[in-house]
Amino acid sequence: MPDPISTVTWDNHLNIGPAHAADLGIQSNDVVLLKGAQGSFEIPVKVQPGIAKGAVTLALGYGRTAAGSVGNQVGQNAYVFAGLKGDSGLAYHGAEVTISTTGKKYQLAETQLHHKILGRPILNEISYEEYKKNPKASMETEPAVKMDKVPTLWSEPFDYSKSPHRWMLAVDLNSCTGCGACVVACQAENNTPVVGRDRVRQSREMHWMRIDRYYMGDENNPTVAFQPMMCQHCENAPCETVCPVVATSHSEDGLNQMTYSRCVGTRYCQNNCPYKTRRFNFFDHWKDVKDTKNMVWNPDVTVRSRGIMEKCTFCVQRINEAKGKAKDKKTAIKDGELKTACQQTCPTDAIIFGNVNDPASGIHQWIKNDRAFRSMEVLNTRPAVHYLTKVRNAEGEAVEGGKEHGHS
Amino acid sequence: MATANQETLKPINDVLVTGGRTFAEVNEDVARPLENFPTGKWWVCFIAAMAAFFMGAVLLLQTFKNGVGLWGLNQPVGWGNDVTTFVFWVGIGHAGTLISAILFLFRQKWRTGINRSAEAMTIFAVMTAGMVIMTHTGRTWLAAIWLFPYPNQRQLWPNFRSPLEWDVFAVSTYFTISLIFWYTGLVPDLASIRDRAKNKIRKFFLTILSLGWRGSNKQWVHYEQAYLIFAGLSTPLVLSVHSVVSFDFAVSQLPGWHTTIFPPYFVAGAIFSGFAMVVTLLVLAREAFNLKHYITMDHLEKMNKIIMTTGMLVGYAYAVEFFIAWYSGSTFERATFINRAFGDYWWAYWIMVSCNVFIPQLFWVKKFRRSIPVMFVVSLYVNIGMYFERFVIIVTSLHHDFLPSSWANYIPSWVELGMFTGWIGFFFIWFLLFVRFLPSIAMGEVKSVMDQPRKGASHA
Amino acid sequence: MHKENPAPVLSGVVGFFDDPESLTEAAAKVRDSSYKQFDCFTPYAVHGLEHAQGLPRSKVPYVTGVFAFTGTATAFAWQYAASATWWPHIIGGKPMNSLPAFVPIIFELSVLFGGIATFFGMLAFNRLPNLKKRAFDPSITNNRFAIMIDNPNAEIDDEEEHVSFSPEQAEQFLKSVGAKDVRKVYNEGWFS
Repeated sequence: MPDPISTVTWDNHLNIGPAHAADLGIQSNDVVLLKGAQGSFEIPVKVQPGIAKGAVTLALGYGRTAAGSVGNQVGQNAYVFAGLKGDSGLAYHGAEVTISTTGKKYQLAETQLHHKILGRPILNEISYEEYKKNPKASMETEPAVKMDKVPTLWSEPFDYSKSPHRWMLAVDLNSCTGCGACVVACQAENNTPVVGRDRVRQSREMHWMRIDRYYMGDENNPTVAFQPMMCQHCENAPCETVCPVVATSHSEDGLNQMTYSRCVGTRYCQNNCPYKTRRFNFFDHWKDVKDTKNMVWNPDVTVRSRGIMEKCTFCVQRINEAKGKAKDKKTAIKDGELKTACQQTCPTDAIIFGNVNDPASGIHQWIKNDRAFRSMEVLNTRPAVHYLTKVRNAEGEAVEGGKEHGHS
Repeated sequence: MATANQETLKPINDVLVTGGRTFAEVNEDVARPLENFPTGKWWVCFIAAMAAFFMGAVLLLQTFKNGVGLWGLNQPVGWGNDVTTFVFWVGIGHAGTLISAILFLFRQKWRTGINRSAEAMTIFAVMTAGMVIMTHTGRTWLAAIWLFPYPNQRQLWPNFRSPLEWDVFAVSTYFTISLIFWYTGLVPDLASIRDRAKNKIRKFFLTILSLGWRGSNKQWVHYEQAYLIFAGLSTPLVLSVHSVVSFDFAVSQLPGWHTTIFPPYFVAGAIFSGFAMVVTLLVLAREAFNLKHYITMDHLEKMNKIIMTTGMLVGYAYAVEFFIAWYSGSTFERATFINRAFGDYWWAYWIMVSCNVFIPQLFWVKKFRRSIPVMFVVSLYVNIGMYFERFVIIVTSLHHDFLPSSWANYIPSWVELGMFTGWIGFFFIWFLLFVRFLPSIAMGEVKSVMDQPRKGASHA
Repeated sequence: MHKENPAPVLSGVVGFFDDPESLTEAAAKVRDSSYKQFDCFTPYAVHGLEHAQGLPRSKVPYVTGVFAFTGTATAFAWQYAASATWWPHIIGGKPMNSLPAFVPIIFELSVLFGGIATFFGMLAFNRLPNLKKRAFDPSITNNRFAIMIDNPNAEIDDEEEHVSFSPEQAEQFLKSVGAKDVRKVYNEGWFS
């Protein structure tokens, strides 16, 4: 799972603030010798916005020696520098260390390489003062994050408001802490393979759900925004039109479906997805899960072979299970009965999922909220995933509202 | 009527066939390479091509065995060297059809010296392109059948709205029609070779392939009509095929891809790279097979003029793209183009611009247009530049698209580069076989445009 | 024991020319004479010869047209049926009958059908592949031109139906219009 702030997987690294790194002449992925009274080792560096000058941080829990293939030889043991605070336990800070360059390089396996929003209508924020004055103001930040219905050249093929179910998901950006529990839950539920350090270095991680982390404002004291990003299940899905074999289509309950057995792996859908939420199986990762490790698979979900595209399905296996049970009982699906894996795991209940056509459902209220917007709505993809605008309350927090009006 | 010697008569169209050749000499010159055992030079080239293809085939089988992961692709760059190579080869194919069809409709007689080789080049380039696009998929063994709309028990059909599906039809149609057109043109020439053949086996195969052609005018009438129809069909076809290939990009959403200039821009670029490949191949062929009287300096000069013209069209398209990116005010579009010229792939962009825009300007100078070394080098640079053009379009638009959180770089892996070389080998295997077994100049057509024997002249 | 060879059937008489102009003039004269079944042989298509020979325009374009339009109709009907009737899907919010998206394939299939039909139509009109009539002289595909006056009785087996035809008179006539190396030609297949 990528670290929520650094997005690095598999190793720990020495975090140095940008100003400090510039003084020392080091960049991310440089290997330095970290030396203190208690010991020394070589460790790669990551330039981390927000760290004060003169301080460096290092995550604990790495460098294990008896943890099996996943834990052994991963990172360095930072406990070396943790001293004792008399009787009150470990001192997690205060060790004096020196840093010297070694000239070596070590590529950290990061999942996110670029950190700025660059004025694109990806997420929306508003300060609390403005929100207090006018709750609807969050819809009027530039660039426009909520579009009225765009006139189309053709007739709609299907009216989703007539379906018994119309599944939508919403994420409250105020509640989201970026912890990443949803990422792990999704991976466990959907048999997403663990690809290993080298594949992540090549940007081939398979997470169906990711937490995008953006920095805004001053590099040395930035504001951070998290945005969980998964398949947006767009009504006008750009991926569906370009698949030559109809491996991806739209269901009448609003899901963008992925038909694994039909996919021949042209990767056109991945190219055309503006949110880049589709994942391609470059290798047969399932072959690495041998013998009894097979028990880790969720039997309700297919295990995909190579050459096939996959993505978030709104936990369609759970939807089908709920539908089946409701049919047996001859009732409708009650709101809250059916939870996606990410929704179930979120510690702050930032994710809500449900049937928007059911007026009593929670999602129905969230969609109507003044703060509800969709990512990059200007593209007219009409995603089913909504986000609630983040309202920033702290003083001095930079607010990203987008500075340019961008159309595509 | 006074008898006049052909040699001293004022030539009507000496630019087309030099050296005062007679019809009999045309047959002799063109058939000679076919009737003699291949030379050492041919064998060296053929073995090199086979070796390259063999290496590519082994790497391809490795990819089938282990997965597309052996290449350098990732998220977000789902297409890289694979689709670049596809567009590269399809583009090269377009020059042959232009020479055969469009120059025919414009009554450009000089096409007769080069059209046979150029059409052969088209067919082999389109074959290569078809192989490349089939093998770029994650599950080629299924893609090869499911992309074709055949009735089946499961009642499944492809998605006809997808540009990749349009590609299937466009490239198949292009291959079929080019093959038919080329073969139709070959029939009378195969008859010529048949009538000279001494070897019984060769004569047998040629009899079958030439369909028993005897040169009857009743047959020529239908033949010429069909030829004209093929030219008329192929002209919109060649324009449509590369437009459809450009739709792979233009119909998508990405900034840098989603633009209406792509169809004409790609067609101009295809003609540009195709002519450059024709020049490369013919400079070598005319030297190796002593065909300088038929593929004259004037032919090459005219082709170089076309190269320069289409190069300027392509350069214009580059400039217009930048202008529109700025003029549109779209954040995404502007960012994409600044990234193209100054971002991580700036080197690919500037190779493209130098090779495609600056280097062909040499052809303003007549001396360079008519210089074999200069045109050979320029034609190689043009093809390098056109490869990089597709690379730049595909990779720079993918690697920096809408969401900055998904930006990442792409480097082709050794496996991909090896396969690229293998496909070049594949193309050259076919072309070398062609020059060995089939007449590389359209003898019948050349005879119809060169100095005709005069009435009453003594025949040589 | 000998197998008796049947007497070879006279196919016609042929005369050669060295340049297209003489050929064209001679063909016009033959066309205007009483010999109605004749043909010219050339190494390439000579302009103006079809008029001199009195040949009508080729019907190949009609074949092309019919099949090209068949291609258009087929492509539209098939795509529509597959996308809207047999296996409809909601794809990207597009309507089931997405006509603009069908256009490229409609065009390609029209060209494909038209082209293939043109090729086979041309072969049919030309009665190719021709295995029955051997080339009578290798110089035709090289550098000489010829006119052959056909023996009208060559195709007619029944002796009762034969019309009168004198090969010698035909040979004289050819010589009179300027042909050289005038001789008789006998029916021979390619592989006999």
